[in-house]
Amino acid sequence: MLELLPPLNDKNLPWLDVIHPIVVHFVIAMALITVVFDLIGIITNKRNLFEVSFWNLVVATIAIFVAIIFGQIEAGLANPYGASRDILNYHSTIGWSLAGVLGLFTGWRYVVRQKDPTRLPAGFLVLDGVLATLVFCQVYLGDMLVWIYGLHTVPVVDAIRSGAVS
Amino acid sequence: MNSEKFFQLIAIPSPINQIADQLGANDLPYRIPIHPNLVHFTIGLFAIGIAFDFAGAFYPLEKRIFRFLALPVTRTGFHDVGWYNVLACSVITFFTVAAGFYEMLLAVPLPGEIRTVIGQNAINTMIWHAIGGVALLLIIVVMTIWRGYQRFVWRKDFGREVTWLYLFCGATILLVMGVHGSLGAWLASEFGVHITADQLLAAGADLKESLP
Repeated sequence: MLELLPPLNDKNLPWLDVIHPIVVHFVIAMALITVVFDLIGIITNKRNLFEVSFWNLVVATIAIFVAIIFGQIEAGLANPYGASRDILNYHSTIGWSLAGVLGLFTGWRYVVRQKDPTRLPAGFLVLDGVLATLVFCQVYLGDMLVWIYGLHTVPVVDAIRSGAVS
Repeated sequence: MNSEKFFQLIAIPSPINQIADQLGANDLPYRIPIHPNLVHFTIGLFAIGIAFDFAGAFYPLEKRIFRFLALPVTRTGFHDVGWYNVLACSVITFFTVAAGFYEMLLAVPLPGEIRTVIGQNAINTMIWHAIGGVALLLIIVVMTIWRGYQRFVWRKDFGREVTWLYLFCGATILLVMGVHGSLGAWLASEFGVHITADQLLAAGADLKESLP
């Protein structure tokens, strides 16, 4: 069965570059801009911004499931070493939780919007705060995997394959 | 390169050495580079902004589907996303480019005969990524002004808030952005720019001790 899988390149990937960090653009940017537009909408009383943040939230929720699919595949091929093993575990746990949280928030937002799209319950700002905090933590952990531990970069994959790093 | 120029460049060390004692193993005064994080916003906001203007433009075709799903949707809502996301993209991209230039001044690509999949070496990748970044910033700002004029002046009373030409330009820019982003990604994944582990390995360090 294994020979049916595509060969891995010098980044230990079956494709050219990591895909997960591309898909997460749409989770990070859309989730955080939802929070920003909610705040601006409340401060300036510009109510059509709530519709803008709702649609961005929908995109973030769809994108996170795609991000998780590629994240799981690429995490499985990442060969984490040292402390990056723990970081990858935290990143995976928060990632799956964030999918649930985003799904719930979007669902609630949908129900609220169904009644009156120009009104945002103040309680949603609390959820916005929770969402932004979770996203920031998740981004920081993912950043550590790439920018400190260099998972899926050519030199680190090289070192892992030669046994210099484990 | 003629040999005279070569020896001249070898004799003059990079000015980054003047602040080497203030930099970490990743050649930055902080742990995580900023530019790759701001890039999420530039790419995400522009792409989704254009996508929602497409959704607004094709609204007459979609509205049956939304009615079938009992999902209340307005065409102005879609175009609002198209406008505000591109506007936010314009604002944040100034910071994306600024952070990119600061971090590129401190970039130390890995030595050796490394080439990307399109055959570029490190300095060519950096130069193209820098010029492309400034060009894209200009293009994004021009697109935002164009979008604003369509929204508030030229197509104020139209159901479809943007012209087909605007949508075509937006889609083309997204393709350019994809290539441009790949250059940036290769600076990290091939040339190890600002990646602690890659820089430590290039310096001959043992990651089991220096990055436990």
